[in-house]
Amino acid sequence: MRRRKLLRSLVFWVLLSPIVVAILFPYAVMLITALKSPTEVHDPTWWPSEWRWRNFPEMWETSGFAPALLNSLYVAGLTTLGAIVISIPAAYALSRFRFVGRGAFSQFLLVSQMLSPIVLVIGLFRLVVGLGAIDNLSALTVIYIAFNIAFCVWMLQSYFATIPRDLEEAAWLEGAGRVQTLISVFLPLATPAMVVTAIFTFINAWNEFVIALTMLRREDNYTLPLRVFSLVAGRYTVDWHYVMAAAFVASAPVAVIFAWLQRYLVRGLALGAVK
Amino acid sequence: MSRSFTPYFLILPSFLLAAAIVLWPLKEIVSLATHDVNRFGMLRDFVGLANFQSLFRDPDFLNALWRTLIWTVGVVLGTLVISTPIALILNEDFYGRGLARILIMLPWAVSLTMTAVIWRWALNGESGMLNSALRDLGLMDQNIQWLAQAATAFPMQILIGVLVSIPFTVTIFLGGLSSVPDDLYDAAAIEGAGSWDQFRLITLPLLRPFINIAFVLNTIYVFNSFPIIWATTQGGPANSTDILVTYLYKLGFRLGRLGDAAAVSLIMFAILLVFTMVYVRLAMREEQAA
Repeated sequence: MRRRKLLRSLVFWVLLSPIVVAILFPYAVMLITALKSPTEVHDPTWWPSEWRWRNFPEMWETSGFAPALLNSLYVAGLTTLGAIVISIPAAYALSRFRFVGRGAFSQFLLVSQMLSPIVLVIGLFRLVVGLGAIDNLSALTVIYIAFNIAFCVWMLQSYFATIPRDLEEAAWLEGAGRVQTLISVFLPLATPAMVVTAIFTFINAWNEFVIALTMLRREDNYTLPLRVFSLVAGRYTVDWHYVMAAAFVASAPVAVIFAWLQRYLVRGLALGAVK
Repeated sequence: MSRSFTPYFLILPSFLLAAAIVLWPLKEIVSLATHDVNRFGMLRDFVGLANFQSLFRDPDFLNALWRTLIWTVGVVLGTLVISTPIALILNEDFYGRGLARILIMLPWAVSLTMTAVIWRWALNGESGMLNSALRDLGLMDQNIQWLAQAATAFPMQILIGVLVSIPFTVTIFLGGLSSVPDDLYDAAAIEGAGSWDQFRLITLPLLRPFINIAFVLNTIYVFNSFPIIWATTQGGPANSTDILVTYLYKLGFRLGRLGDAAAVSLIMFAILLVFTMVYVRLAMREEQAA
């Protein structure tokens, strides 16, 4: 039995290896380039003669990484908080009430997903200019919240639907009011769902590019994807070792959190998708 | 009485915010698309469909439209075809499965912009490590300037698109596979069904709704996807890798042709809407027939 599993594992890994190599290739390039010395960067070797860890502190000082990091934390943090706070009641309503317009509201959320930011970007730009909020991180945050609502409601609702009603009904029988039940019974059970949804919303906002590219003007306001992009776009000489170091520092923490949480996505997305 | 209002009260904030951020820009786009607009965004005369007509005389637009079709079909079909066996494997029990899942999910965690910027470097003609890797493997003996012409840049962009779409698709499929009860397979095995028959007669039909949803969502996402092409070639050289989203962005923010850009937005929205409606209709008919 053990031997059969071993054999099967071997076969599966061999089958998966082409795709694993293709997926890891760019990230390997990133890491290796980030550790090359400036003289060696343009030499496409896989094993640098010297691993230059100093690239990281140097990149930090020269590329304006720190302000971009703070901007990204601000925008992604507030987006997460806002989107979750607004989506919880809606998801609760969808999973616990039958009401006229319930289907229409779900449809509306689907359509708002289809009208992605890029299709609306011209109109969004005019809206933000009209409000005098161009180059304003808080305005960017509000847009991010709006575009994450559909995803959050979708995820939360599919988890909420798996929480048995009996517990709430038992609390009502004991004389607890609806609001009290919500706070003391339902929300504690829903906490894991909320945490998972929050983290994925955070990652969405952390990685967003096109709205930030459109709405932010001054370099001080750049978020991380924009910062890294601006180190490359429209320049004659690109310090690729710094670009790759910046890409690594910007991506690694999120990738680690994501790796830890990805199995929860399987459940939430699949349940939400088919209902 | 108060109870019947409760759900509306609960969905109100999310509805208002989402509606404001979708409907207001949509209204702006409709008015831009139907007016003569100067490059500073001032509306002049109402021109009806003239912006649309000028777009359909613009060869760059028509090429971008055609390329969007190739891009979307290429990425979505490539993703579905590659993701199915991956999901089937990852659903089995084997040593290192957790690690395999994490590795395959990795592109989802990294910003598309970052991945595209890294690829731009990896595809560099002289210093790019793809060229050196392919040379070391003996697959070619001369460096290719991957991003210098559309003939090599566009297929590469499609490949990158497939690689970054796999995680989401595999995730949906794994969710579907976990809902297939094991005893069905046991019963089939007793009846003498081989593994291909089991896949064809049990797995595939039960996976059908999940394949459908992955198809629709991927099509919407890929059709709208901007960072991969923008961060590798910005639609260049000479607009030869533009798809609708990148061309729309250029029209609006580089060339100052806001009326035309708004018209492209509406055309994109119309395409998405028709696609979704036709698809939902077909899927429903299929369900009734089954």
